[in-house]
Order: sequence, then C-alpha cells, then structure tokens
Amino acid sequence: MEHALTLEHVTKRFGAHVAVDDLSLAIPKGSIYGFLGPNGAGKTTTIRMVTNIIQPDQGTITVLGQKSSELTKDRLGYLPEEKGLYKKMKCAEIMAYFGRLKGLDPATAKRRATELLERYGLGEWADKRTEALSKGMGQKVQLLATIIHEPELMILDEPFSGLDPVNVEILRDLILDQRRAGRTVIFSTHGMEQAEQLCDFIFLIDKGRKVIDGPLSEVRKSAERAVMLDYDGDGSLLSRLPGVTRVNDAGKTAELFLAPGADPQELLHALIGQVKVRRFDMREPSLHEVFVRAVGGRQAAKDLSHG
Amino acid sequence: MVSKKTWLVALREYAENLRTKTFWIGILLFPVILAVAVIVPSLLAKAKDVRRYAVIDQSQWLLPAVEERAKYDDVLQLLKFLQKQTVKGPSAVEAMPPPMRAMAQGLEGKTAAQLENKARLMTMMGAAFGGGKPKDSEAGGETPDLTAQTVEFLGWLSTLSPKEARSLKAGIKRERYERVELPPGTADPEGWAREQLDQGKSGLFAYFVLGPTPLDSNDGFKYVSNNRTDQDLKEWIGRLSSDVIEARRFAREKIDPDVARRIQEPVHFDEKQIDSTGQEQKVSTKDVIRQWAPLVFVYLLWVSIVTIVQLLLTNTVEEKSNRIIEVLLSSISPLELMTGKIFGIAATGLTTIVSWIGFFLVGLKLAPTLMDLPGDVDLSILVSDPSFLLSFVVYFLLGFLLYASMIVGIGSACNSIKEAQNLMSPIMVLLMLPLMALMPVGQDPNGTLARVLSFIPPFTPFVMMNRAAGPPETWEYVATTLLLLLSVALAFWAAAKIFRVGILMTGKPPKLGEIFRWVFASDRQ
Repeated sequence: MEHALTLEHVTKRFGAHVAVDDLSLAIPKGSIYGFLGPNGAGKTTTIRMVTNIIQPDQGTITVLGQKSSELTKDRLGYLPEEKGLYKKMKCAEIMAYFGRLKGLDPATAKRRATELLERYGLGEWADKRTEALSKGMGQKVQLLATIIHEPELMILDEPFSGLDPVNVEILRDLILDQRRAGRTVIFSTHGMEQAEQLCDFIFLIDKGRKVIDGPLSEVRKSAERAVMLDYDGDGSLLSRLPGVTRVNDAGKTAELFLAPGADPQELLHALIGQVKVRRFDMREPSLHEVFVRAVGGRQAAKDLSHG
Repeated sequence: MVSKKTWLVALREYAENLRTKTFWIGILLFPVILAVAVIVPSLLAKAKDVRRYAVIDQSQWLLPAVEERAKYDDVLQLLKFLQKQTVKGPSAVEAMPPPMRAMAQGLEGKTAAQLENKARLMTMMGAAFGGGKPKDSEAGGETPDLTAQTVEFLGWLSTLSPKEARSLKAGIKRERYERVELPPGTADPEGWAREQLDQGKSGLFAYFVLGPTPLDSNDGFKYVSNNRTDQDLKEWIGRLSSDVIEARRFAREKIDPDVARRIQEPVHFDEKQIDSTGQEQKVSTKDVIRQWAPLVFVYLLWVSIVTIVQLLLTNTVEEKSNRIIEVLLSSISPLELMTGKIFGIAATGLTTIVSWIGFFLVGLKLAPTLMDLPGDVDLSILVSDPSFLLSFVVYFLLGFLLYASMIVGIGSACNSIKEAQNLMSPIMVLLMLPLMALMPVGQDPNGTLARVLSFIPPFTPFVMMNRAAGPPETWEYVATTLLLLLSVALAFWAAAKIFRVGILMTGKPPKLGEIFRWVFASDRQ
C-alpha cells in the first residue's frame, strides 16, 4: 500500500524531556487517521515534526514519498490547535495569502478563496475583516484556508474543539469530501465520538510512546467485549453479576465488561428481576473505553471529559 | 534566501503596517511638529498684547532722538518689505494703503546700503519738516513730489495704530509697542505712571525714566515693570538709547562717526579651509550643509529605529499569541519568514523616512513664501556631492538592517509587548550612546573617541555619518563598512537562530542569557 506519511524511529527531546520516543507510523494514502492521546502525550510535537516546523532529533519522516523538508510544505495543509487569524485582514484576503504562501498564483488563490467562502456559507464575509467574525466562523475560515491549495495531506490539530453541532457536521462532511477526492486526512482529537465516526485508523500515543496503532475495527476487537445496558433500578448491584469484570455506570445506561468466556445469556438472566431492562446490546467496547484502558488511570479520563 | 515567499511575507507585513494608526501618526507627527515648531512661536509673538509704555524724559532731548531712531528702523523695514512686494508683482503692491503704494516706486534693484541711505534721508527729512506739509519752495524744488510723498508717508506712519501696523504684515516695531503720552502739565509724571502700571491691559506695561544727563552718566535711568520675564521692550529702548547716546558722545568729542566706526571695528577672520588639492577654499554653504546634514541623518536613523520597534513587536506578538505563526511555519522556513519580516519592517521605516524628507523639502520650499522668512536653502548642493550622499544611504541601510535584525530576533522570543519592552532595554541603551556622543564626535570628527566608536558596529552608522564633516579617511570608510556588513550578516544569522526557537516559545518569558544560548544551540530545535 502506498503511504502518505511514514515515520521511522522518530525521537524528539526538549532538554531532558522526551516528547516523542522512537515512534514509527505508516499512514496509507486516502485514509482518515485519528491521533488520540491525553494532553501532553506528544501529539502536537509529532504533528509539528511532520509539518517540518521542528526537526526530529533521530529518525526519518517521509511525506508523500519525499523526505520531509521545505519542499513538502506546499503539499501539506495544517490547521494548528489554537486558531487565529490576522485581525485586520479581510477573510478572502487572508485565505488568498495563505494559499499563496503554499505556492498558488495570485489569481487562483483569489478565485479559490471566494469559491470556498461561498460554498461553505461565508460568502458575505469575504470582504469583512476577520476581527468581525465569531469564534466558530473564524475557525471555519482558517479551516478553509488550510485546504485552499488542495493539499494531498491534511493535518488538523483538534479541528472539532469549540464548534457547534452544525459546524461539526460541516467539518465532518468536509473531511469526508477530502477523502473522496483521494486525499489523506490526519486529525487529532479528544472527541471519541468524531474519531469513531470518521477514522479508518486510530493511533494512540501516551508519554511520547505509541500505545495503539491500527484499523479502528481491529483496535476495538482487541479489547474486552461489553454489553450496553439501558435500565431502571439499583445500579450498585451490576458489578456483582456473574461474569462482569467492570462497570461503566451512567445511572440510566451502563457499559458492562465481560470476563473472557463469560456467557451474555447468563448475564441477561441474572439481570431480569433485579432491574428493569430497556435495552440489552452486545457490542464491541467504545473507543472511549479503549482509550481509558490504554492510557490508564482516572486522570486521563478526567482530561477527556474536560477536553 | 530571498524567495518568492519572502517577498509575500514582506509585502503583507508592509500592508499590515500601513493599516495601523501608529504608522500614520508617525508619518504625520513629524510635519506637525515641524510646523508647530516654526509657526507657533511666530504666532505667539504676533498674538502678544501690544506693550503700552510711557517715557519720562528728564534730559528733554533723548526721547525725541530715540523716537527718530526708531522711526528710521521702521522706515527701513518698510522699504525692504516694499521692495520684496514689488518683486512679487503689481497686485501685491495694489493691496497696500496709498502712502505705502506711493513709496514703492523705484525700489527695485536697490542694494541694502542704498535702502539704508534712503531711509536715513527720509527720516531726516521728516525731522526737518516736523511732520508739517512742506511748501514746494522749501523742499528745494527739484523733487517736490518725492518730498511731499515722504512727508505724507512719515505722517501716516506716525499715526499708525498697532492694529493697522499689524495688518501690514511688514514686521515693524510699531506692531508691538505703543508709547503713551504723559498727560500734559502733570506735576508728578512718575506718580501717574505708577498708577497706570496697576491698571492691567488698559494701563501701562512698563515705563522708563531717562536720566537728566545721559551723555555723562546713567544716573536716573530706570525701567519699571511688573513683568520680569518679557525683557524685549527694555532691550529695544535700551539699544536705541545707546545708539543715540553713542553718536552724541562722538559728536561732543568731535570724533568723526566714520573714524569712530573704524576704531570700533572688531577683528573679523575670513574663514578658509584647505581642500584635497591643497588649495585654499572659502567655506561655502556646501561645507555648512556637510556639517549639519550628518546630524539630521543621525537623528533620522535613530528615530526610524525607535519607531519600527513598536510596529514590529505588535505584529510579532499578534502572530505568536494567536498561533498564526504555526500556519506560517508550516508553509515557509523560519529564515524566509524572518527575512520577510525584516524587509517588510524596513520598507515601513523607509517609507516613513522618505515621506519625512519629502515633507521637509516641501516645507523648505513653502516656508519662505508662507512665513516671509528670508532665503531659499539650496539643497542641490547635497546632490552635487554624490559620494557624501551615497555613504549616508549605505550607512543608513546597513545600520537599519543591523538593528532590525536584533529587534526581530529578540521580539520573536516575546509573548507580550511588556516582555518585549523589558528585553529591548539593552538595545535602547545601546542606541542612547551615539546620541550622547553626537557633540564630542561632531567637534572632533577625527579624534580618538570618534575613531574608536567608528569601529564598534552598532555605533558605526551613527558615528561615521556624524564624522562626515571631518571627513574620515578612505580606508576608514572601507574598513568600517566591511565590518558593518559582517555584523549585519552575523546579526542576521543570530536572529535567525533565536527566531527558530523563540517563535514557538510560549509561557514564561526567556531571559537574555537563555536567548544567547539559543544562538549557539544546534539547528535541530
């Protein structure tokens, strides 16, 4: 399979701190790849190395078949984690500027800026200064600026944070559009829901080391089986049921994890009579569960719910 | 190094600066200050209340003599003014009151000495006829019209109120001073004057007492005023009195005034200098410009560096605080970005300077006509000295680049304007020194201090410009320029290193020592 991006034994240190430790990755062309990990795990450092903003201490990075360098920058689109625009520039103007920095000629940059703004409902803002935009709109403009040069590889750092549900929808469509056009999208996120919906592959990093890397379906299969339960009644007895190793209880719904070899039928039996069962659903564990288990500890879970 | 993307960054930076208020305030501030500095003092002088004064003349003769002397000054001033107006054209003359118009004929082409003679003659004539209209026969017959005109003119002049005088815009003393006659038959004139002094605007500003024996002693001379700050009136009357008394003393001792003048003639040195061919040369305007132009350039360079600091820091801090910098760095290299920023800021600074020079030249052209100031300064001299001008342009650009690199380097490490100002303070101190050395270096352009400072790169542009009147030897020009070029390259390289690291730093502001370490850190950051 052809790869849009490969990292081989990449290490990056800041003083004594090892931000990324011997990381190897291979991202197939035309895929959507999710970068997961708690805060400070090394996601942004990895992304900055891929975009050639900083250089790795060891290892090699190959972008679109070329060794990462200034030359590969034009073929990448990068949306950083913290979003910002020049306040005094007009929306179309700043998009065209970013496009030209990626090597577009002035006419094309201008045309595409207007087109993109029109297509994503910001046409009337083209000649307004970016300081007049709301936060969400500003983010949208920046996202559009990221794709103005039609990059073969897009890297989005936390693209969903701060967006309202309508804009989340638009962004999701936009990412899927990119894949349909044969381009590769990498995005980092704390939102498990988006990752589950969109990603072909999941990469989980913690403390600079790779924890999980593979197709979403396999990642989920590798974890314990679980039962999604909607119920009314006393949740405290759930953990004492036969074959149950752990419970994620949310009050009205709960995720029950089964020991290897445990029989779900038996569990259902035990449940009936104890609580009122509204739904009993065998499924693979959620990405959330995978994440928490992999990273471990309550702190990571906390990060997630706040991030 | 200078890629297409670099120019893009430079262009955007420049356009962004042009949008800021700071930039336009900076551009407009200079002409405004210039105009204020030139116009306001003269406006203030004009706006000054008319000074009413009285003179108690115990000598019985000094006051009329002083009045006559004053009249001579005003007549001469009016004649010069008229001469200037006739040059301007007939319409300027037409606009004047009839007695003035009558005097305007035949003034064209007269030298200053001729005008002085005419004024003296006219004043004497006025004194002889006592202000009355002479009969034709009394005037000697030959130029009756002229005599009649003169007398009429002088009569008109002596009744001119300060307000009318001011409307002439000729700058005569009558605009500002008005003598109040003592009430006739007062037994105690000083008592009267003292009373008048307290009556504010309608009363007297000051009064003089002229002693009974002016030729022998200063006894009894007195100037009384409650305004101790404005000494103009006292000085004016004092000067006129001294002139009159001096002339009378010569006459009493039977000394020919010409002889007296010769005796009093001070020593005058004819200023010369030796040019490169060993010839004696008269000191010309060119040399005067050579002496003053450097100061102007030193100030211009200084001010332009100080003004870009603010703009540059605002932009860099904006880019850093909202992380645009990451988008930029994912598109271009740090070196390209920094070069672009330096070029952009340099273009901004040069735009300011060029427009200031433009304002200055326009002002220089307009000021004489607007303000009735004498003289056109011939700046073509500056252009006729190309190597002189070229050295300025080179030092200016190199000096500007050197400081711009340092500022960009340090600015990239800062997250807020406040932090930046703290880190900038060493550069500001560095910038103060050439200003402090301005006088000593200017006076001794080839002295040890000047030579030593020339070879310290941050001071080179200032000091070498400052020394231009010297001028320094050719090898010094070559050596300092090479050294400066080297330092610009070095500063650029160091700034690029700092920029690489600093631009992505957030959080705690770095210490100067830390920044210094980045310069020598490896490229792999």
